[in-house]
Amino acid sequence: MKSATENVPSDGQFTLKVEDLWVTYLAERGKVKAVRGVSFTLRPGETLAFIGESGCGKTTLGLSLIRLLPSTAEVEKGHILYRRDTEVMDVLQMNDRELRQFRWKECAMIFQGAQNAFNPVLRIWAQVLDTARSHGVTNKKEIRQRMEDLFRLVQLEPERVLRAYPHQLSGGMRQRVLIALGLLLKPPLVILDEPTTALDILTQRSVIDVLRDIKEKMDFSLILISHDLSLAAELADRVATMYAGKLVEVANVWDTYYHPLHPYTVGLIHAVPTLAGEREELISIPGSPPDLIDPPKGCAFHPRCPYATEKCRTEEPPLIPVAQDHEVACWHWQQVQEDGGQRMMVYSEAKAG
Amino acid sequence: MTTTSLAQSTPSRRFDVLYWLRRLSRNFILRRVLMALAKIYVVITLTFFIVRLMPTNPIEAYVNELIDQYGFTYQEARDQAAALYGIDLEASLWTQYLEYMKNLLHGDLGTSYRSKGTPVAKMIAKFLPWTLFSVGVSLLISFTLGMLLGMIMAYRRGSVLDHVLTTIASIFSSIPNYLVGMMILVFLGVQWKIFPITKMRGAMSPGMKPELSWAFIKDIFYHATMPILTYVLTTIGGWMLAMKSNTINTLGEDYVTVAKARGLKESRIITSYVGRNASLPLFTQLAISIGFIVGGSALIEFIFVYQGVGQLLLNSINYRDYPVMQGVFLVITIAVILANFLAEFVYGWLDPRIRVQ
Ligand SMILES: Nc1ncnc2c1ncn2[C@@H]1O[C@H](COP(=O)(O)OP(=O)(O)O)[C@@H](O)[C@H]1O
Ligand code: SF4
Ligand SMILES: [Mg+2]
Repeated sequence: MKSATENVPSDGQFTLKVEDLWVTYLAERGKVKAVRGVSFTLRPGETLAFIGESGCGKTTLGLSLIRLLPSTAEVEKGHILYRRDTEVMDVLQMNDRELRQFRWKECAMIFQGAQNAFNPVLRIWAQVLDTARSHGVTNKKEIRQRMEDLFRLVQLEPERVLRAYPHQLSGGMRQRVLIALGLLLKPPLVILDEPTTALDILTQRSVIDVLRDIKEKMDFSLILISHDLSLAAELADRVATMYAGKLVEVANVWDTYYHPLHPYTVGLIHAVPTLAGEREELISIPGSPPDLIDPPKGCAFHPRCPYATEKCRTEEPPLIPVAQDHEVACWHWQQVQEDGGQRMMVYSEAKAG
Repeated sequence: MTTTSLAQSTPSRRFDVLYWLRRLSRNFILRRVLMALAKIYVVITLTFFIVRLMPTNPIEAYVNELIDQYGFTYQEARDQAAALYGIDLEASLWTQYLEYMKNLLHGDLGTSYRSKGTPVAKMIAKFLPWTLFSVGVSLLISFTLGMLLGMIMAYRRGSVLDHVLTTIASIFSSIPNYLVGMMILVFLGVQWKIFPITKMRGAMSPGMKPELSWAFIKDIFYHATMPILTYVLTTIGGWMLAMKSNTINTLGEDYVTVAKARGLKESRIITSYVGRNASLPLFTQLAISIGFIVGGSALIEFIFVYQGVGQLLLNSINYRDYPVMQGVFLVITIAVILANFLAEFVYGWLDPRIRVQ
């Protein structure tokens, strides 16, 4: 409990509260420590984005929230508290039946690359019915009505899509079908894992517009996982930066993009066109995320960090609040604040040549 | 008047012909039918000639017998044989072939050499139902049971049960069926006397009338028990292993994970999401195996003295009874091609990715 108290909003309201979550994969080479002590709070109705390079543990984190990790994975430690009205449940303690009812009805997870998300031998309508019936909704007319509304919301032709087999729809359409299906049971919590990867630019745009539209019209909390920072910038209220299985910075979207305090976040933001849209060169951070079987001692980012000192190599910086709605895990965040992340940017550019 | 109408109708008819030809060539079903017919034709032709390349034939044997035992001259013996078998021995192979094909087109499979004068079609009609029955029942059992066990193995993979079943399946699918048949005969029949083999002989008990009665159904199942057991034991392993590997692959598909995320009931996921998709490829194999089993039924029916086409085929080979041999080959061929033909449609019907563009 103690590590998460800082995160809890003053009114104590939350949809999801994750406390000190540790997840490992058993691989041939050893234990992959994919999530290493993650804590955060998701407030009702807000959108929290998780950003970070590929391999930082974002998907693993998302999957563990609905306990859909592959069988080689193990949640070693932690709590995932889900709150509905006055009731608080730990997802990790649920039995099979509770878990099945929790999935989709309480928390819908829309997967990364949902190209293959639908059973190829069943029509979309049959799969909609499957979903509704599994959660005790049996009135066909009502289901149809709601699904048609949702399809219109995601700019799909309801008649055609409901009748179609998955292979008759394009990738972008399938992604939107899954998003619409995710909202069928009005879940208070939705997780979107890389909703736009594997789509072409135009389709990406339309999916983003659809998401924004839905978020305005409907009331649910959203966890958005993406390495696409512009997507996060457009949709998120708060942004959590993840590196090597840990949260290194959690802040509101404005601070994240204009006053990042963790060198890694600085590097990420610097690598993409900025929020306002003035094009900057795409420069990535030199090096790559560490091997999570044996992550670096101290701050895991130190091999790639221009601010690193001896302390960084031996002691792990905790995630601490440094301002209103802003937490960071870095020994030298003040230095970053003073130079506006300049050293990180120069370092990236120099290495990029 | 007639001339004008002719002149007028010719261009439009030609147009029609072209139109229909074009449509037909694009027609999926028709193309398959033509392919099937072509295959049947090739097999008939090959069988006709291969059968005649076999050393010694019954007519020669009969001719020799007449010469040796009754002192016929060669010419007399040949005339006698020709009259008896109703064939023209002087005709060239080519003429015989044309004659055979002409008769075939009229549905005439010829008459048996050995059971002199009995039409081959009649013999096949008598023997074929038993093969279709025993093979059909076996396939149904081994296919459904094999799929079920395969799925269980996949769901419990790595468990003791999985290892035991996988080992058994691999062993059984690699032993030839006649060996299994012999073992059943020797151990279950002769040694331990679990099956009263003499009573179980034949396709049904003597005096039993084919009718739709419980007694009759029970009786034919009783007589088919050993062949069915053999077929099931030798084919089930293949189904189990194929289904296991398909199921494991399907379990790794995104749509199964998403189905779980959607909170679907486990039973629904197992049947409609995993089972249905994992079994799709097996339906193609099902058709192929029909041919294999019918083709491989000869030794089994011989071992258990079961009156199916396999038995008929063995006998006809023994006695060089060409017309019967050809007839049986023809029927087996048609059965295999028909089964493949059906399989494609069943597959298309089960898999919308093929059916619906
Ligand atoms: N099934 C798995 N088995 C072993 N290691 C895995 C598995 N899935 C992911 N990993 C590892 O866990 C780490 C985090 O992966 P992931 O959660 O997919 O990151 P992200 O979504 O941020 O790209 C990576 O190092 C990845 O190699
Ligand atoms: S703790 Fe040290 S190494 Fe880690 S990000 Fe901060 S300055 Fe860099
Ligand atoms: Mg991912």
